[in-house]
Amino acid sequence: MIEFASFLVLGLVVGLIASTLGIGGGVVFVPALVVFFEFAQHTAQGTSLAVIVPTAIAGAFAHGRRGRVNWRIAGWIAAGGVIGGLVGSAAALSIDPDMLRRLFAVLLVVVAVRLLSR
Amino acid sequence: MTIRPTRAVALGLTAGVVGGMFGVGGGIIVVPGLVLWLGFSQHRASGTSVATIIASASAGLIPFAIDGSVDWFAAIAITLGAIVGASLGARVLHRIPARNLTRAFSVLLFVAALRMILA
Repeated sequence: MIEFASFLVLGLVVGLIASTLGIGGGVVFVPALVVFFEFAQHTAQGTSLAVIVPTAIAGAFAHGRRGRVNWRIAGWIAAGGVIGGLVGSAAALSIDPDMLRRLFAVLLVVVAVRLLSR
Repeated sequence: MTIRPTRAVALGLTAGVVGGMFGVGGGIIVVPGLVLWLGFSQHRASGTSVATIIASASAGLIPFAIDGSVDWFAAIAITLGAIVGASLGARVLHRIPARNLTRAFSVLLFVAALRMILA
């Protein structure tokens, strides 16, 4: 019960921050699960993707209603994205978790620098 | 707007690989790609990006699910919180000094990166 509540709070805080800053939640979920909840790197990433799917559906619905989705282009990008997603995940699972965690840290630095420079 | 399927598919492939590799959505690739490469406005780029992530993250999730590397209990709880948090965020969006929040958050990301490298 306490565990459920702490995951719920994590989602709440990240959802609030991510929507306010206009970034995705995944880049926060993964380090939060690794650092605060002591998840293995692979499980953190898999769980993050499991959260991203329903939240993206909710997000796309909200943006779609405001006419902010170009569905034709989205379809083409999604076609590439499905293949890329399968390849990327398979690659992630074959990488040593310690190595993957350090690569993820590099991604975090890139996101932080981009946020600061806008 | 001219539809450029080749560019769009290439963009999706790149974003999908990054998203699957790191367990993120891939918006970090799709949004700037749409703006710089396909001439989208920032708003339309964000909206369109979220829609594409439904597909790429679903595909990326499959190998992790097969591998047993998904904590479904945590995922359900986080999702419930995130949907409430995001709708709250959309409401208070204009009342928060974005610049200070961005800076504070960037520092937090640097600290997290450092911890993940040293751990």
